[in-house]
Amino acid sequence: MTTPVTHGSKSGRPKIPEATLRKRARAALARSAAVDRALAVLVGLVLLAAGTLVALLSYGVFGTGRAARPVLDPLIVDGLRAQPDAFRLVSIAVGVLLVIVGLTWAARSLRPERHPDLVLDGGPDTAIVISSSAAADAVAAQAGGIPGVRRARARMVGTDEVPALRVTLWLADDADIRDVLTRLDDEVLAAARTSLGLTALPVAVRLELDVSAHPPRVA
Amino acid sequence: MRMLLRLLAPLIGLAMAAAGVLIVIEVIAAWLRRNVVTGLVVPWHHWRTAIENVTWEDPPVPGIAIAVAVLGLLLVLVGLLARRSHITLDGPAPEITVVTAPRVLARLIGRRVRSTEDIFSASVTVSPRKVSVLAQAFDEARPELRDTVHGRVDEMLDELPLHRRPRVAVHLQERQGPR
Repeated sequence: MTTPVTHGSKSGRPKIPEATLRKRARAALARSAAVDRALAVLVGLVLLAAGTLVALLSYGVFGTGRAARPVLDPLIVDGLRAQPDAFRLVSIAVGVLLVIVGLTWAARSLRPERHPDLVLDGGPDTAIVISSSAAADAVAAQAGGIPGVRRARARMVGTDEVPALRVTLWLADDADIRDVLTRLDDEVLAAARTSLGLTALPVAVRLELDVSAHPPRVA
Repeated sequence: MRMLLRLLAPLIGLAMAAAGVLIVIEVIAAWLRRNVVTGLVVPWHHWRTAIENVTWEDPPVPGIAIAVAVLGLLLVLVGLLARRSHITLDGPAPEITVVTAPRVLARLIGRRVRSTEDIFSASVTVSPRKVSVLAQAFDEARPELRDTVHGRVDEMLDELPLHRRPRVAVHLQERQGPR
């Protein structure tokens, strides 16, 4: 039996399993689109099924008699008239459900991504707050100084309780990527963890090539 | 595709909410104003008269149904294809995830292949599973050139801490004309 590797803390904070750290680092890569994707697929499947069934009905697959009936079938109208209150209540419930799902979906999609500030423990009556932009800019400035890195950008993401860092590095064509990543961890992220008093800081790094600096066309 | 999803998601959400609001308003208005046959916002009594006289096989119905099905299919495709497409690299620590775009790897490989002797140009396509190189060689190129190019690509991949090494396929074309 194996036990998960954990990262200790000199300040006695709870240890975080390695798998959790990996998961948080992956989540910091980009804003999640899982809900948007799931709802888009769900709505798409409903439309696809409805459209296909109606098209089949129209072309007489379910019988020519059915295809010749009116779209608003008198049988259905009579059925609804027999139970008017039930029909109204169901319609209102469907309408309210559409409003709730639609507004929640739209609000979630339009909501800007959170950039949490970091709160350091300064003692019993003191809390030191480092703004997300200050922390991220400091990391970006240090990362930009690594040999092979032309530009760097950092963003704090996640929640107040579980902050994470998203770093984008624009590399020179001849950059040694292994060396850049090792230096980023040893020189930049280790210093950030220490100065921010964090046991572990999940980090998502995106590597890009810097295309802004083209070689001269004429020597 | 993710950008399209980001644009579509709030629009569809707002359309659903608007439809819900209209349903609730019209049903409550019709419930309260039993003697009034006109809709409050939506002229549903006109629509009702129209669809009572239209059968399922009448011309607009199949067309609308096909359009709705196509729209649904497009939405499903957008939802399924809006996945993150990136190449994962091994980070120096477990809490560091490193990724890069396939085009970045393609550019690095392309640069390495083009620097090979006797190669005139190269086009590289990269996915997380496969690297395809289509190189144009000068005519009368060495017969072992394909292996040389393959080796250069392997060399490039070895230099990167790739989490999963993609397969490499190299195709050589001979370029006609003067060198």
